[in-house]
Amino acid sequence: MSKLTRKPSQIQRPDALARFQKFYLTDNPFPAEPYVNQDSVDKRVNGGIYETEIHKAEFQQITNNFLKKSQSDPNHLRLGYIIDESYIGRGNGKSAFLVNLKQIIDQEYCLDFSEGKNKCFAVYVSPEAGGRTKTFPAFVDILFNSIVKSDIIKNCLAMLRLDAMKRIYENFDEVIKSMDDEDLVNNLNTEEWFVKNHFDIATIAEEIYGNSFLQQLPSEFPLFQGRSSFMSRFVSTTHFIDYYRNTLKKSADRINFVFSNLVDFYLSAGFNGAYILVDDFERIPDFQSERQKRDFALQLRSCLFDGSYSSARTGFYDFMLVLHAGVPRLVADAWSLSGMEHRVPMLPKISSNHIIRFEKLSKKHAILLLRKYLSEYRIEGSKPDYPLFPFTEDAVQRIGELSEYNAARILKMANELLEKAAESEDVKSINPSFINKSLDMLEEDSSARVPIIKKGEALDLQKKAKAKRAKK
Amino acid sequence: MQNESATELTDISPIQSVKKFYFLDYIYILLDSVSRHSKTQDVFMSFLELKRLYRLGESKYKKLTVDTENVTDGRFRRYLYTFDQVLDEASDYGLIESSDDWTTIRLTGKGEELLQLYKRKGSISFNEALFKFMEDKYVAFRYVITKLHSANKNLPGLLFLPSYSPRQLGFERKIFRTTDDFIDYSMSLVRRLENDIEQYIGIRRKLSTENAKLLKRLTTAGLLPSDRNSSFDPAKYNIITKRFRDFWMSFFLNRIYHYRASMPSFDIWTYRGKQIGIIHATEFHPNFSGKIVYPLSVITNSVQSKDFTKLYTYKDGNILFVHKPRWSENQEKFVETIVKAYYDLRRVYRSYFINLAALREIVCLNMKISEKVFEDFMSRTYRLNLAGKLQIRISLEVDKLPEETNAMYLKREPIMVDKKYRNIIAIDATKGGEDHE
Repeated sequence: MSKLTRKPSQIQRPDALARFQKFYLTDNPFPAEPYVNQDSVDKRVNGGIYETEIHKAEFQQITNNFLKKSQSDPNHLRLGYIIDESYIGRGNGKSAFLVNLKQIIDQEYCLDFSEGKNKCFAVYVSPEAGGRTKTFPAFVDILFNSIVKSDIIKNCLAMLRLDAMKRIYENFDEVIKSMDDEDLVNNLNTEEWFVKNHFDIATIAEEIYGNSFLQQLPSEFPLFQGRSSFMSRFVSTTHFIDYYRNTLKKSADRINFVFSNLVDFYLSAGFNGAYILVDDFERIPDFQSERQKRDFALQLRSCLFDGSYSSARTGFYDFMLVLHAGVPRLVADAWSLSGMEHRVPMLPKISSNHIIRFEKLSKKHAILLLRKYLSEYRIEGSKPDYPLFPFTEDAVQRIGELSEYNAARILKMANELLEKAAESEDVKSINPSFINKSLDMLEEDSSARVPIIKKGEALDLQKKAKAKRAKK
Repeated sequence: MQNESATELTDISPIQSVKKFYFLDYIYILLDSVSRHSKTQDVFMSFLELKRLYRLGESKYKKLTVDTENVTDGRFRRYLYTFDQVLDEASDYGLIESSDDWTTIRLTGKGEELLQLYKRKGSISFNEALFKFMEDKYVAFRYVITKLHSANKNLPGLLFLPSYSPRQLGFERKIFRTTDDFIDYSMSLVRRLENDIEQYIGIRRKLSTENAKLLKRLTTAGLLPSDRNSSFDPAKYNIITKRFRDFWMSFFLNRIYHYRASMPSFDIWTYRGKQIGIIHATEFHPNFSGKIVYPLSVITNSVQSKDFTKLYTYKDGNILFVHKPRWSENQEKFVETIVKAYYDLRRVYRSYFINLAALREIVCLNMKISEKVFEDFMSRTYRLNLAGKLQIRISLEVDKLPEETNAMYLKREPIMVDKKYRNIIAIDATKGGEDHE
């Protein structure tokens, strides 16, 4: 019999009650593995569900001390540290905070916060976890990859073309009137669209070359592709990637490209700053030798403050390093030897604007957090008794205490409790007594308990006493 | 084991009859006081003064707070009791002599010799010498050490006495209202203990009958109401949880390990053994909740390894050897062990600086060395590190980790490394040519 006509022996009943329907939920809103993965399409995991109320104070501090300050003020802060207050470490919501910060900055390119003074974009950088990001050039490589991933090159190309075309074609505003920003960026990066609409690519390119910021760029800069040949002049992000990876071989050239050439390019497109959000910064010093730490700090200083790079001259890049509570001590020597501690101290004697302390969560925050996740997965039109349903407030407090108010562990525990509650029909709500009865299950899954005493690891004294001495 | 039969005592009274104090320093301060005074009354006053100075309390942990000068009656009676115990024991060993009515005391030749040993060579030598007096009289350490070696077939030489407070199992104090709540806790506790027996001792035991016995005892003693839903007297919470702890500790000691004396006497012998350096006992092993005890010595007729030092010869020709590894042959092993322990702890606690005392526990257990040897080896390692002669970099600090409270340091004294007290450690184990200039 053909597989095309055969039917499976078991089929889903279309009328079956969905697993979480009794709690008015379409699915379990909580992630089983609560670590931010930006590339995931699941909003539980990619940082997409974010309760802005929770770290409002931190966000406010960043707004006041960074986003609102004019980029053209030579004294604006170029480096800030977001320092975790909790030694428990991972899972305090720092990554989610950063991803969200990036989205907020990119939404209106910071024009809203700065009342039109600044136009900045944000790039989220996460050093590689295995310890390969030991040197500054290696860091610049991942920074470039993050820049590419953030689509900012594509957006800049669109902005430059848009600007030029407005000057060349009188009725251009009419043409683009019906497009939203996204369509516009896509069209302006599609060669066929230009051909179809009879816009001359060479003319537009010539108009762009006139931009004063582009005059200092070397002739082989990817934007000038085709300028002195008969090749197509239509440039895309791919040309930038290809140039960075295949033409620039020396690390000094790559650093110059990212901190000088690209900066001029952004300036030409109308930006006057960028926030580079470096998550998990500890992954870098964690694997570095003292010398590597010092070299790294020196190069960072030169790129941000006093080197000959465009970024250092204009203060274009503002770096935000996210630090684990133990990190300042780890890099203290390198920071002071390189003079960074003098400029932007990590361990200042007095409270400073460039240090944002990342607070631990409280019961109030835990409630907000769970409520936010629950609301994202409510069945439309359903009316639960209270917003936290099926969790009671006492239950949330208990979950918070059990997970030491660590965001990741709160979410994981909520996930497990909800799974367990969905299994049995008698469970109508999740309260402290239900949690107590489920404690064993939660305990066993906890990865924090690693048995350290292993067989064969401890010396057997009696054996050693009897053993013949090994020959030298 | 040839020693087993010789020490399977039919009479355990010597082990039970030990005097009730933990610190061997008590003997020293008594001898010191007697050397300066002869009237018992004066000796006692001097004893009290020195007791305060050396922070000696009645528990097995040193005090961190200094006692106030004015002593209450109750406390005075307790001090007097301790003093009598120490006096008795010193007199048993022939270190002091007294007049018939105990109004005056003086040092014997042996007592004087021992006192001088402390002054010349310090507490370790003193404790080792005192050990000989104790063993001559009681032969108790022989039983304890032999028992420790044979107690656990799965992890030889390691004796585990697990204990979990309600809080550790996730039961906060405030949720306890009725007998039922304690039953919930006891079930969870039993599951954990059964699990530990299997994991650490390699045998399977069902504990529910024992648990029922314990619960029945608590109700009979009037601590818990027999009706499961009635509420208990909250003032008795601590007594009840202590009963749980004591019950299971004794159960492990006597019924799992077949140790024949009581828990209090076991505690006194093992903590005294710890001061001599022949036994290690701890309640602070990271990731094990409860007490771990293991011997740092062997009793046999001969040893092959140079890392053992002879301490005592028994009448039957068997010898007690202490494990005191030599630095020159063990430095590589030591550095390897601390690095591994550091990374194991870091994985669990997820922070760069970790508690040095926790690291010490793991290293002492894995290498079977005393805390003194650890301090010595750690100091040597640290100096090599400062001289740039190690592939790793070590950072030792005095700070506390933020989650640690003061109370922990009452029980775990800071560790002296390179002449300074240290509490936390970080190790950077980056290797590779380019890192070294």
